[in-house]
Amino acid sequence: MTAGPQTDTRDWHRARWPLWLGGLAWLIVVGLGAGSLGALLWRAPAVDPGALWHDPYLGSVLRFTLTQATLSSVISLGLAIPVAVALARRPSFPGRRLLLRAMELSLVIPTLIALFGLVAVHGRQGWLAPLWRAVTGEPAGYLYGLSGIVLAHVFYNLPLAARLMLQALERQPEAHWRLAAQLGMTRRAIWRCLEWPALRRTLPRLAALVFTLCFTSFAIVMTLGGGPRATTLEVALYQALKFEGDLGRAALLALTQLAFCLVLWAVALHRGPATSLVATGGQRLPAGRWWRRDALGPSRLVDAAWLAGLALLLLPPLGAVVIAGLGGLPALPDNAALWSATGLSLVMALTAAFGALTLAVALLLGSERLRQRGAALSAGLMEGGGQVILILPAMVLGTGLFLLLRPSLGGGWQGYALVVLVNAFMALPFAMQVLQGALLEASPTRRRLADQLGIPARARWRWLVWPRLRRPLGLALAYAMTLSLGDFGVVALFGSPSRPTLPMLLYQQLGGYRWQGAAATALMLLVVVVAVFALLDRLSRRRPRYPQSRYWPTSAGKDPESDHA
Amino acid sequence: MSNQALVGGLALTALLGSAVAQAEDTLTVYTYDAFVSEWGPGPRIEKAFEAQCDCRLRFVALDGGVGILQRLELEGEDSAADVVLGLDMNLMAEARDTGLLAPHDIDLGPLALPVDWDDDTFVPFDWAPFAFVYDTQALAEPPHSFEELIAAPDDLKVIVEDPRTSTPGLGLLLWIKHAYGERADEIWWGLQPHILTVTRDWSEAYFSLFMNGEAPMVLSYATSPAYHMAVEETDRYQAVAFDEGHYLQVEVAAMTRHTEHPDLARQFLDFMLSREFQRELPLTNVMYPAVDLGDALPEAFSRLIDPEVYIFSPQQVRQHRREWVDEWLRASTR
Repeated sequence: MTAGPQTDTRDWHRARWPLWLGGLAWLIVVGLGAGSLGALLWRAPAVDPGALWHDPYLGSVLRFTLTQATLSSVISLGLAIPVAVALARRPSFPGRRLLLRAMELSLVIPTLIALFGLVAVHGRQGWLAPLWRAVTGEPAGYLYGLSGIVLAHVFYNLPLAARLMLQALERQPEAHWRLAAQLGMTRRAIWRCLEWPALRRTLPRLAALVFTLCFTSFAIVMTLGGGPRATTLEVALYQALKFEGDLGRAALLALTQLAFCLVLWAVALHRGPATSLVATGGQRLPAGRWWRRDALGPSRLVDAAWLAGLALLLLPPLGAVVIAGLGGLPALPDNAALWSATGLSLVMALTAAFGALTLAVALLLGSERLRQRGAALSAGLMEGGGQVILILPAMVLGTGLFLLLRPSLGGGWQGYALVVLVNAFMALPFAMQVLQGALLEASPTRRRLADQLGIPARARWRWLVWPRLRRPLGLALAYAMTLSLGDFGVVALFGSPSRPTLPMLLYQQLGGYRWQGAAATALMLLVVVVAVFALLDRLSRRRPRYPQSRYWPTSAGKDPESDHA
Repeated sequence: MSNQALVGGLALTALLGSAVAQAEDTLTVYTYDAFVSEWGPGPRIEKAFEAQCDCRLRFVALDGGVGILQRLELEGEDSAADVVLGLDMNLMAEARDTGLLAPHDIDLGPLALPVDWDDDTFVPFDWAPFAFVYDTQALAEPPHSFEELIAAPDDLKVIVEDPRTSTPGLGLLLWIKHAYGERADEIWWGLQPHILTVTRDWSEAYFSLFMNGEAPMVLSYATSPAYHMAVEETDRYQAVAFDEGHYLQVEVAAMTRHTEHPDLARQFLDFMLSREFQRELPLTNVMYPAVDLGDALPEAFSRLIDPEVYIFSPQQVRQHRREWVDEWLRASTR
């Protein structure tokens, strides 16, 4: 062995820059997060936590928030299990790929658009209303009230949960499935030995994620709730922040929300190991390769029913948005405002997404290095820092940041920068979830082998890290971009000098009775979101140029997913 | 290394942003986003004012009247705003108490409002009564009062907005309070079976639900049908006049105390009451103009309902809002 690579290897191990990098990112994220909460409390004239706790209004709000979040999570997760199992058992059928893409979208569809679609399908005058009337003899009023809230949350979260469960099922080692085929295992045996153990590992984190998303839900709860009985903590927070200008109360409510979700996450992280939550497109089940005894006979019908159910839940509301938007298409080429808004939205989304990715990589590298050094607690804290943002309401983050940074803000463009920053923070937890699996999986065994062979850092990056990272990076970028694309709350908070983003344009059009235009804008937003996913998927899938990749067993060079996923 | 630079760069972007060079005589107006949209009154007003003031007019679009006030409060005396345009009456007391607004000193003579106006700080620029808009194809005989609505069969549904989060929602709360006083909670209780849902804001109520046919009636403005009649050329959507009279929405503007261009700000407020400015409002903001436009008022406005209107004083609203919202909460959740 030459001296060169050895020095490189030692450098790689001793290098402290991942620590500094992670530390800096942590300081930025946690500092600005805590700082914005602090700024609210500091600006509040008098803060009285006691009054908050004795407020019967808050008590009922908290009870309702917990009820609807629990119900929504249980139903979403409960239904997601059979859907995921059915999807895993049927690795190839026409439309499977389309269905998977639609499931991935569910996380990022802007609420206003989802609401429109849900109303068009499930509303009192919706597509399903005649059927409902024929069956029950009553008008279809189920979209309003607790049932409507749960339906909308299931629409959002069931596909997300099922997609991630499918990922867990497909990650099972190939040898297990081979054995299952050779032994001719029955339905029950496969469930007990293969499926349930895989699902059980992801369930705690998944439950925490879905519960958090439902817990902090806002526009859905208000529109479909049917009245003030359906008030969540987030609504109370909006009320305090915007309509009562009560910064202290808003900060206290945010702290309450933070406390509830933190406890939940602590439990979830304690019970579930650190596996990636979001589909990373890693190793997949080869299409129809292993024969499954349980895939024959009546299970075909059962699976078909579950998958049809999923398609019926997911596709009609999206279809309704598309159909409504088509009416605005003829005017599209002349619609300068729409194109300009699309451009602005894309630029902002791309900037925010790169910010989120940079922070995510820095935090993950830092925490991995800490873990290597045996500082597990610090590593957990560093990683957790990035996840806290999920629970901190964007409204509080935005207002707090505004208070913190305002002295250095002047003209209108700084407003955009602030929006980009908050959007980057909002996308950070999702970017981390996607990248986490890839960065961690790339680690121990391969790293040891690379150490023994004395492979220099650059070569490691090129051959070890990059091929495994490119697809997750593409996906993380897609999630981060589309989350930012659909954001309205933060943009509205900071305002802008005349040039709107796509969601702002949508609201402006609605505010000006431009019904057709708004439908076209909604369609455009949906198309852009799909295009971003498709484009980044394609770009990150491109085969590497080096021919050796053929011999690299599971890297991006050989991509079983391109056959069927 | 480059990662480090990127992280640093991200922070810098937020801290510094890009400095926008500002001309000396730029008048900055904080307003709400529908006002500055391409089809809103903003662009044409900007052009017209710039032609006569030898200055630049810059609109900053915020999230409704509440967003404007909140931004002003957060920024305090350092605010870039010279004029705020788009607060409504119910925010006036709070806005005045910030001490950030200055008397306007302009002639309110041209005003033609259905109520008297002699405020020294706020200049109204448009108005409309709140009203229920109904779909004539779904509802032949709409109720003509809250009591008739309560007495109607339970399957007559209305969509309303939430008084905690939206201007029309607060308007309905004040409307019922003004009309029924002590009996307001009784009315709210009676209305419960008829309320399909309570939305966060007007857009969701009007477009996501009402225009989708979810209910035949929605809480909106008496002027909403004018847009449908004048622009979409359909008489299908009409407002119904209630026997109790209607609560009024008045939108106002004011200049800030710390403005560097007080004369320009005053000139703008003056311009706001000119025909040139006012004639843009009826079909873009879909509200009544604050001055008498004569023939320039679109024909559709002559076919709207013309009910008796009233308002609480801004002080009364400020004093009692919390208590009235709580009363509404109790009545609608009991």
